Amino acid sequence: MKKILATLTVSGIALAAGSMAQAQEVHLIMCGGEIREADQTVITQFEADNPGVTVNAEPVPWGTCQDKSKTLAAAGDAPGLAYMGSRELALLAENDLILPVTLSDEAVAAYQPGVLATVSNGGQYWGIPHAFSTKALYMNCDVIEAAGETCAAPETWDDLYNLAAAVSAASGGDGVAGYGLAAKDFDNTMHQFLNFLYSNGGVVIDADTGEGMLDSAETRETLAFFGKLAGVSQEGPTAWERDSLKDLFNDGKIAMYVNGPWGRGQHNEDINQMIVPVPRGPNGDNGTILITDSIAVFSGTGVEDLSMKLAQALTTGEAQYDLDSSWGLTPILQYENLGFDAPYYIGDAFWEIFTAGISRGGPEPMVTDVKGLQAVFVNMIQGIVLEDDTVDNLVTIAGEELAEIM
Amino acid sequence: MGKSLPKALSSKSTFAWLLIAPAAAYLCLIVVWPLLETIRLSFTDANIGGESYVGTANYEKLANSKKFAATIGRTFYWMFISVSLKMVLGLLGASLLNAKIPGRAAFRVLVMPPWIIPIAIGCLGWLWLYNGQFGLISGALQYVGITDGPFEFLAYKQSAFYSAIVTDVWVGTPMVAIFFLAALQGVSTDLYEAAYVDGASRWYRFRRITLPQIFPVIVSMALLSAIWTFNSFEIVWILTEGGPRSATTTLIIDTYKTAIASFKFGPGAARAVVIVVLLSIFAIVYMVVLKKLEKRFGSK
Repeated sequence: MKKILATLTVSGIALAAGSMAQAQEVHLIMCGGEIREADQTVITQFEADNPGVTVNAEPVPWGTCQDKSKTLAAAGDAPGLAYMGSRELALLAENDLILPVTLSDEAVAAYQPGVLATVSNGGQYWGIPHAFSTKALYMNCDVIEAAGETCAAPETWDDLYNLAAAVSAASGGDGVAGYGLAAKDFDNTMHQFLNFLYSNGGVVIDADTGEGMLDSAETRETLAFFGKLAGVSQEGPTAWERDSLKDLFNDGKIAMYVNGPWGRGQHNEDINQMIVPVPRGPNGDNGTILITDSIAVFSGTGVEDLSMKLAQALTTGEAQYDLDSSWGLTPILQYENLGFDAPYYIGDAFWEIFTAGISRGGPEPMVTDVKGLQAVFVNMIQGIVLEDDTVDNLVTIAGEELAEIM
Repeated sequence: MGKSLPKALSSKSTFAWLLIAPAAAYLCLIVVWPLLETIRLSFTDANIGGESYVGTANYEKLANSKKFAATIGRTFYWMFISVSLKMVLGLLGASLLNAKIPGRAAFRVLVMPPWIIPIAIGCLGWLWLYNGQFGLISGALQYVGITDGPFEFLAYKQSAFYSAIVTDVWVGTPMVAIFFLAALQGVSTDLYEAAYVDGASRWYRFRRITLPQIFPVIVSMALLSAIWTFNSFEIVWILTEGGPRSATTTLIIDTYKTAIASFKFGPGAARAVVIVVLLSIFAIVYMVVLKKLEKRFGSK
């Protein structure tokens, strides 16, 4: 009798353990506030391919999402994986909260140039890029032509300034500005500046040495140009961030501003808009910032293998193509080399603007103190916009502050 | 009662201690323990990945920081201007609400919304008001010809700072006014009638009767308002996030940016401790000065 009882008990425990092993939940935090259809398709298929595994996909708005993932990880209750800005990866990696990602040579070669630099730190990849954007100059030709100017792509910074100045001067008291400048205490103020810095041959962090390179002649030229642009921009640039500038663009209050490919869908259909590369500076070529959002797999969750498997399923081949094409993102992979027939961006004049700058673009700098980095740039940009200090002093201070946070 | 309780509980003081023990334990849990933990953290470099003891390094860094010194000065200036305005406007409002005028009850209700509306919602309204392109204030200024184009109130250091103060005063004044109104209603009308019979003017009665009678309420309200204003977070954060160029960065904003936004819990905790110390010193000095003033000018 005792033997039977013992056998039953052991069997019961084994069954319970077995069912626990079978029923696993992978917690996926998806920044952006929604699970896009392309991602949901992959998640559904993943659950079907892995019986007993459920994916708890939690969409969280951008405003709180990244802090939520980081705080959960710090508290020892990390999600299995999270889709978040790649700039956040360095902090998580330095503190062993996420796992490095191994990519095959074939996978590495498939990415657009510069994309993997946005997830690299200390010689390793810390996330799998899942969304990519480049930037271009949007021109409201209706506003420009109403000012008596020709709506033609400005090739250089001087061309851009002269056109913006002409529009501002022609508007008189109508409050129409030639250019929409973002200088609010916000991350895309830094991004907007980097579009111009990279178009002038500037560098923030040396990719080989990891040394801060902000204190340079290229940065000084870019900052001086921002100071000039402020004079032909909308009133009070320090109160505006990029996404709110689209309202001014739609209202015909600014003639030009820089935005990502999604800008086209945000603008009024009746606007005669032209999209051109970010004009080149005196020392560079038309460049752009390369920004990615990535999927990071957290350590110590007990579902690391499943999470990595899901991350790879979400970011490869068809699944990634579906996301890029349906969302209207700059292609993250070189789909034309992966056997995709007539990818959406090939032969499309609009997409050629956004893909042409990729090879000349620079990454969003990766440091552990993301907010500190933002503050370095915002302080410098606001300093010149508000005429608080000289270009020379502001760049010198920014260089020192960058060194402090690196 | 003594018969039904064990001997140890029969003394009045022991029983009293037992009664307040749950509340004391609760207080220790939500006030004392976090405070001690904050002090402990301030001597570490705690961040998202762990912590190690760094001695007084966080405090030394703060002591040598010109930016931090400027933030302290700015915070006290912010507090002084804002609290002064709240006190003056609150007293003025309370006096008007106390006056025997038609529709007084309606006015008393109408003064409440800034206090009742959730601060975040109110601030979103102010964000729109301060907007240069689409805002009401800029539009009105252009309409009457004071400005010849849009003006962004939150784009410049000075205007952003004073705009934030205006919003803070808008939020804080109704409560001050309601407290003062309650105090005014407690002042005996006999005093006014006697002074009136003696030929005292309206201003003289206000200065020699009203103010001394409600002086204790003014003192308490000013101190409470000062502490709340010193630590006012939502208003500045929603309007400016401390910008432009740190023009509206007060100590609490600086602490939040350091501890929460940048995940530097150690340096953030040091800032929080500085806030506690500064406010304690302020409260002590304030009470000492006011006691002297009360002796000199207060009601007998």
